[in-house]
Amino acid sequence: MDNKISYQVKRTMNRLGLHSSAMIMMLLMLIVGMTIRSPYFLTVGNFEVIMSSFVLEAIMAIGLTFVIISGGIDLSVSAVLPMSAILVAMLLTAGVPIAISIIIVLLFSILIGFFNAGLKIVLNVHPFIATLAMQLTLRGLALVISKGENVSGLPKAFTQLGQGYFLGILIPIWIFFILIVVFGYLLKHHKFFQQVYFIGWDPDAARVSGMKVNFFTLFVFGFSSLLAGLAGILAAAQYGAAHNSFALGAELKVITAVAIGGTSMVRGGTGTMFGTFLGIMFMAILNNAFMMSGISTYWQDVVTGVMLLLAILLAETLKSKKLKLS
Amino acid sequence: MGKKILEVQHIDKSFSGNKVLKDVSMDIMEGEVHTIIGENGAGKSTLMKIIGGIYSKDNGTILLDGQESTINTPADAMAKGISIVHQELSLAENISIAQNIFCHREPANALGLIKWKELNKQARAVFDRIGLDIDPSLLARDVSVATQQLVEIAKALSLNARIIIMDEPTSSLSENEVTYLYSIIDLLRKQNVTVIFISHKLQEVFKVSDRISVLRDGELVGTVDKESSSMEEIIHMMVGRHMDDLYPQKTKHVGEVILEAKNLSRAPVFKDISFSLHRGEILGFAGLVGAGRSEILRAVFGADPMDSGEILLVGKKVVIKSPKDAIDQGIGYVTEDRKQLGLFQSMSSRWNIVSSSLEHHRKHFGLIDRQKIGESSQTYFNLMDIRPKDDSKNVINLSGGNQQKVLMAKWLCAKPKVLIVDEPTRGVDIGAKSHIHNYLRKLVDEGIGVIVISSEQPEIIGLCDRILVIAEGEITKELDNRQNQVTQEQIMKHAVIKEQLHG
Repeated sequence: MDNKISYQVKRTMNRLGLHSSAMIMMLLMLIVGMTIRSPYFLTVGNFEVIMSSFVLEAIMAIGLTFVIISGGIDLSVSAVLPMSAILVAMLLTAGVPIAISIIIVLLFSILIGFFNAGLKIVLNVHPFIATLAMQLTLRGLALVISKGENVSGLPKAFTQLGQGYFLGILIPIWIFFILIVVFGYLLKHHKFFQQVYFIGWDPDAARVSGMKVNFFTLFVFGFSSLLAGLAGILAAAQYGAAHNSFALGAELKVITAVAIGGTSMVRGGTGTMFGTFLGIMFMAILNNAFMMSGISTYWQDVVTGVMLLLAILLAETLKSKKLKLS
Repeated sequence: MGKKILEVQHIDKSFSGNKVLKDVSMDIMEGEVHTIIGENGAGKSTLMKIIGGIYSKDNGTILLDGQESTINTPADAMAKGISIVHQELSLAENISIAQNIFCHREPANALGLIKWKELNKQARAVFDRIGLDIDPSLLARDVSVATQQLVEIAKALSLNARIIIMDEPTSSLSENEVTYLYSIIDLLRKQNVTVIFISHKLQEVFKVSDRISVLRDGELVGTVDKESSSMEEIIHMMVGRHMDDLYPQKTKHVGEVILEAKNLSRAPVFKDISFSLHRGEILGFAGLVGAGRSEILRAVFGADPMDSGEILLVGKKVVIKSPKDAIDQGIGYVTEDRKQLGLFQSMSSRWNIVSSSLEHHRKHFGLIDRQKIGESSQTYFNLMDIRPKDDSKNVINLSGGNQQKVLMAKWLCAKPKVLIVDEPTRGVDIGAKSHIHNYLRKLVDEGIGVIVISSEQPEIIGLCDRILVIAEGEITKELDNRQNQVTQEQIMKHAVIKEQLHG
């Protein structure tokens, strides 16, 4: 009986991945360390601060997880965000109803994603280049249509979306948690979403097995862009205005969170939403830790960079190692 | 064995003007194990990919159960009960083997959520058919390559395949695993599943097949019953000549010592190795895998370190600390693993050929002399008879045999005095093999010394004038083979002798 339990525990750890297990321990260490340093760290209020400072990136990380497991990359998310923020703000100040404005902007975001996917499918442009070009184009466009100025004067009903609370928790945080739980569950258990592991591992084999690889590529890029668009809407709501400088460089933070979570950038077909969640928490807590500890935030990028490298080295060394199942 | 399950008639196929299949016709009987054998590039895989719907044919018809049928996509083939177990495994490693079997056909509820219990149950049922007892929820990366192969077969069965095509399934398996695979093929035969087996390993072909079809240069040479045929006959059909002609003549003239190694040691890999290589001879290093043959010669080449010992080249002591030293001194090393160590896969043959001798292809100020490179490349291209005759093609697009020839050309271009060749013909078909052997002989006749490491004893005996047998890092026997007098038993005896001493 004991053997059976230890078999199950080891198997669960292998399933979870030794990487995730190690990540959990690192997170715990960080939390314990911070709690010892500051009694305010482990309070509901601080948790709120932790999450709200990273929630937009966190939402985009959900989409990026799919893109990266499928073997692609999406650098355009950080430009879709300000673009959609400005668009929704302009529509609202022009008097378009809130629901319709949001739907238009989300559809627009999906189209951007489809365009990224189309460049890959039709012209065989590597997603790195395709989405980099998209990022530059969109950021430029955002500057052009906003003339570099704040688009403000948004209706209260709309800003509630970014500033309001539900059961004491900020609405964007609710949105993030609902999305990550739903799509984490679907990624793990749904037939359609599970394709990502086959396609990311070997698109040709997936095609031969009868999967619609191109359709799936459209989906992942569309989805990633959709979530970036949603993040943009929430950003406009949170700040009560939109500006083209939103989310500058955020794509790298998002990718960092996904990569720290153990999703492989080298070969597709590896990664979990749980890992991404750990990566997000790690980045968010680290961010908070710097603010609370009074160390110059200049150091934050240095630490993040080192942590990213460590996490990836950890993933690479643990990849081939697993607990022996006897 | 009853009716014809699959007939291909008058199949033609060309790739960019190159005819790879010419008027191939063949019948496959229900429930038989039918091997397609032929050299690399003979068209075996192309034919199978046409049957599997991966390639389309230019001409000809395919009949299933006597009915003409169209197979345009892999999905068509699967729907008609034809599955291919690919040589390069295509399992996605981060999901369970059960899921890999039912790859996108997993049992799911109305919302599309996978029913895991049902999935594992169904996977187990398929495993039962091939007598495999394994937890279907294990991730593909957690099971051995052999098991992955069996999972591929299970996948084919789950598709209700009546015809399973196995493309060189044993190439990455150990001996035990191969035996197990044979037993599974037997099981399949009993379940009236037809197996088409692609291979170029003759012994294995004779073990598993009922009938054997031989392809050569895209044409069907013939189909024979195993019972009424012999290996010699098959070889003759494959290459169009007899086995006796397979190896070149032995040396006519042995010259002075060109390379001498004295007391080379590196604990614990090899100890006290001394040997000499003469002009005009091929020296063979025989022994079991792991005996230390490659390690010794890699040390001579400077690719591995060594604790003590000295190397003399044409009577002069030389210091070799890196491969560059060795190349400068005129020693070349054709590596065993041409993919990882020998060739730049995504560069053209031309650049590969000159890659170890760029110093000889320079103009003023160290600039590259492209014209000279083109000339050198052409020379060796013709010499080695590399096909297709286009040295601008990337190496990755060449067949295994031709890649091996490019690798040899690369080292010849560096004009070595001594050439070490590690497994010269691994993964190479018989035709190209023979060409490489003849060429090695020609090289030594011109005065180069050649050392061959090979795990294939017929190759060592057929090719080498003198054989050193290595066991556990020591030379256990030197055998003179100029009269072709060495036997496999002799080599084997000395290759395992140390093991016996140690019990």
